[in-house]
Amino acid sequence: MSVLAANKPAYDGQTLDLSGKSGARAFKNTLATVLIVLAFAVALIPLLWILWTVISKGYSLLFDANWWSQSQRGVTVRREGGGAYHAVMGTLIMGLITAAIAVPIAILGAIYLVEYGKGTKAARAVSFMVDILTGVPSIVAALFVYAVWITVFGFNRVGFAVSLSLVLLMLPVVLRSTEEMLKLVPDELREASYALGVPKWKTILKVVVPTAFGGIVTGVMLGLARVMGETAPLLILVGYSKNINLNPFDGFMGALPTMINQDRTELALEPAADRVWAAALTLILLVLALNLLARLVARFSAIKSK
Amino acid sequence: MSVNRLLRVGTVAVASLGVLALSACGSDPEPSGSSSPEGSSSTGADCPQGTLNAEGSSAQKNAIEEVIAKYNEKCADVTVNYNPTGSGAGIKQFNAAQVDFAGSDSALKTEAADGDSEAATAAKRCENNAALNLPMVIGPVAIAYNVDGLDKLVLDGATAAKIFQGTVKTWNAPEIAKLNPGVTLPSAPISVFFRSDESGTTENFTKYLAASGGGAWTGKPAKKWTGTGAGKEKSAGVAEGVKSTKNSITYVEWSYAVDNKLGVAQIDNGSGTPVELTAESAGKALAAAKVTGTGNDLSMSLDYATKEAGAYPIILVTYEIACSKGLPAEKTALVKSFLSYFASTDGQASLTELNYAPLPDEIRTKVDAAIQSIS
Repeated sequence: MSVLAANKPAYDGQTLDLSGKSGARAFKNTLATVLIVLAFAVALIPLLWILWTVISKGYSLLFDANWWSQSQRGVTVRREGGGAYHAVMGTLIMGLITAAIAVPIAILGAIYLVEYGKGTKAARAVSFMVDILTGVPSIVAALFVYAVWITVFGFNRVGFAVSLSLVLLMLPVVLRSTEEMLKLVPDELREASYALGVPKWKTILKVVVPTAFGGIVTGVMLGLARVMGETAPLLILVGYSKNINLNPFDGFMGALPTMINQDRTELALEPAADRVWAAALTLILLVLALNLLARLVARFSAIKSK
Repeated sequence: MSVNRLLRVGTVAVASLGVLALSACGSDPEPSGSSSPEGSSSTGADCPQGTLNAEGSSAQKNAIEEVIAKYNEKCADVTVNYNPTGSGAGIKQFNAAQVDFAGSDSALKTEAADGDSEAATAAKRCENNAALNLPMVIGPVAIAYNVDGLDKLVLDGATAAKIFQGTVKTWNAPEIAKLNPGVTLPSAPISVFFRSDESGTTENFTKYLAASGGGAWTGKPAKKWTGTGAGKEKSAGVAEGVKSTKNSITYVEWSYAVDNKLGVAQIDNGSGTPVELTAESAGKALAAAKVTGTGNDLSMSLDYATKEAGAYPIILVTYEIACSKGLPAEKTALVKSFLSYFASTDGQASLTELNYAPLPDEIRTKVDAAIQSIS
């Protein structure tokens, strides 16, 4: 008892030494915290500013039913009315075609890299090429497709050509994210499957891909959201049309980025300015919806560990 | 797992339903005019069916949009797309057979630069038939300014050249004061704004400065600005620059000056009375211009130094460039139908309220005859 009592103050003193902070350290800690919070706030300012500007200037037209159901045919910059239907559909159609081409190639490529080609020269080459492709600016992808589609083959500018160049931008994004997701699947799962005598292809199809499904879908959605806002391919590979054109293989096609571009020189005129901001907000909402969808799919398709 | 799959399928189904719902109800807006009951006339001989694609000059963007809207009230089955990407781009796309006609602020060049000349390449595109330059839209260029309390400003060619060259630096300089007797001018320096992009407006404006500046303008007329000042992109940029800067001046299409509520200088062309910029005074200047093309080619040579009373000399003519022959039959019908309407009195009349000038009758009939000759 006496030993304990004698030891206690010394013990307390030690605890104080360990947990208490000297003035300099407390100051450093506070400084770092303040700097981090400040950096966060600085990063947030432009985002909130953009959102506020676009929402406050663009929201009014979005509540108009015509905005979602009509084109801009016969509507000049001086007149109100019309909608963004043609542009929304153009953006969706070109985006979906892009996804239809890019997603299978990207997922199969990722499966090759992770499951079959690990460590081989071919896999390293593919990996390197994908890294390069990630850094290709959209304008270069667009000019490449212009050179092939129009200069070499002599076709016209159409929505499908835009999709082709967007494929070049979407492919590396989806391939990389899918690859990372497949790498996360524990090898124990594969080994367990092999131990039961399941062939490799069936293991990939029934065990590996379903396990990573949520992550793969998220990657696809993010890739799609990224290419939908691209403007350079639209400017180079398809003309803007104010009219509804749902055929990606013939004629000019509207899209939200080019709809914004079309009237941005007329911001002095109220109807045109309203439409430009509303189109910008529509594009943001479209991308936001895709991101939310990705979150939802990822949540509901996650494998539950029982 | 089965619950997961159900949810997964559900999400996809909801998403695709959303797309379907959106795609089910799309339509074109009702024409704003009252002429929709006459829709039956859209199948008449004047109104073919199909899609017409065009590209080029941004100076005529507002004009052609208005004409397309009016034309669609008459011919509902024709779709006309116009991309205002600039005169140079328009000619390139026309020559590459990507569009059916082009809009350009200058006629096709006949002298060869590298390889074939513009006119020769255009002729190739039209299956070895000449391409026509059809003057269609007259866009006056305003000298727009922003000076407090200065409602009226008179300039002449020499003074304008000195201001834009940078040799006249303040608003109360004797050159300006002489042209504006009895007006209090501020002693503030003049801020000049110019188009930083290559522009047909710059080319036409510098042609005017060179022709009537009496040697005060030292640069050659070009699409690229060689004078003094601060650069802004596109017409919207220079208009916005003048609007937000006191004691500034620029050159810009008339409609931008009006839309941004800027002061517009009157021009003393040497006739004695300063000329205010109106649709009429701009049309008068074009009537004084000469047609230099042969036959149905109507490329014009403007007289920027005109001394005719009441003629506003700084104008920009936008040509529609179309094949005289050689397009597929259905495209030919579309081009003819649309351009005929553009050159009609109805089509031209709708431009006045947008601050363009209508074609003078004498030239309009020539343009119309040329369009009718397209086959």
